Amino acid sequence: MASSESTTTSTTTKVLRLKSSDNEIFGVEEKAALQSETIKSLAEDGYSEDVIPLFNVEKKTLAKIVEWLNKHASGSSKEELKRWDADFVDVDKDVLYDLLLASNYLNIEVLLHQLAQKVADMIKGKKPEEIRQLFGIKNDFTPEEEAEIRRENAWAFE
Amino acid sequence: MDISKFLPEECLAHIISLTSPQDACRSALVSHNFQSAADSDAVWKRFLPSNYLEIISSTTASSYSQLTSLSKKELYFHLCNNPILINNGMMSFALEKQNGKTCYMIGARGLSIMWGHTPDYWNWKSLPDQSRFSEVAVLRVVWWLDIKWRIEAKNLSPKTTYAAYLVFKFPIFRHGFDMRPVKLGVHLEGSEVGVTRSVLLDPPANMHRWPLEREDGWMEIEMGEFYNDKEGDGNIVCSVSEADSHNPKHGIIIEGIELRPKDGK
Repeated sequence: MASSESTTTSTTTKVLRLKSSDNEIFGVEEKAALQSETIKSLAEDGYSEDVIPLFNVEKKTLAKIVEWLNKHASGSSKEELKRWDADFVDVDKDVLYDLLLASNYLNIEVLLHQLAQKVADMIKGKKPEEIRQLFGIKNDFTPEEEAEIRRENAWAFE
Repeated sequence: MDISKFLPEECLAHIISLTSPQDACRSALVSHNFQSAADSDAVWKRFLPSNYLEIISSTTASSYSQLTSLSKKELYFHLCNNPILINNGMMSFALEKQNGKTCYMIGARGLSIMWGHTPDYWNWKSLPDQSRFSEVAVLRVVWWLDIKWRIEAKNLSPKTTYAAYLVFKFPIFRHGFDMRPVKLGVHLEGSEVGVTRSVLLDPPANMHRWPLEREDGWMEIEMGEFYNDKEGDGNIVCSVSEADSHNPKHGIIIEGIELRPKDGK
């Protein structure tokens, strides 16, 4: 929308209102909220005067995300952020998945990368059976398919 | 909750790209969703060196078009298992399977060999069954042995300890390498010449044998190591010399010098 230009660039202390899928509203300073590319494009589409609906994020997850957005817009030192981030991703598996899905949907690149790194560290050094168990994944290969993949990647199973 | 059912493939691929080549191969066996992410170009592009296209573009045109037709995963393993010739066939390039770090071997033609162009001292021979390069250097006779290789550090993987290896062999008739040690060294150009090591390339049978036999049939001996700290400036110089004894030397066949990451570093 052509008229959106003035609304997104006018003030720096403007507060955006984000609504979770279960109808909780969070007020977040624009500077913090715009770290999400999804919120940014919704705001540019004219939602910024109003409530921005985030249909895919529940309030318990959105509360965590808002905490992250605020911290990362607060001007903390690099070292402090690093410590804070390490604590932030140190959560139960289920919370981790919700955050991963939400940060993917909200398109917050830095957070997404931190969460992906956390999951990657959980996968490292594990056997396929252990990865399945960790993430509750069902083996959907036939024994023949499994044998074929094992053969193709034999080096990794030595 | 099955994470792989909810996450888009690109997100799963992002996660797997932050593991390692071995973990990515193992992940392919988890489920169909994992497999399709784990085999994707997005993952394997991250395991290839960032300048891989530039490197493979200096191979022959036919080899280049063959390499670029492969998936990124196929390309990765192709480069691990089959060193490719680059820079007009003067150098070979390969990857370490564990971590995708770069390995180079310079052929004898790419080395600066003192008197290498004088047929009284050095001969050039083609050994198609034994050498990956079109020619190797065969020593007729010298009193002063002096071989150097200069390579730009930016071609090497960052934050990696590399070692250089002289790759060579001896024919039945040779002389001078069993009694007189040669000096081997590796250093950053312009800095102090660091540690050099003095070794017998052809030690008598009853001595501990330093040179090791390689899978390709050649012998190799470690010349020294260095830490390549980041996308570095400057040149690394590898050198082989023996100029103190004034003894004639004869017979060694030089395949080249190889630079590869030291185990596990």
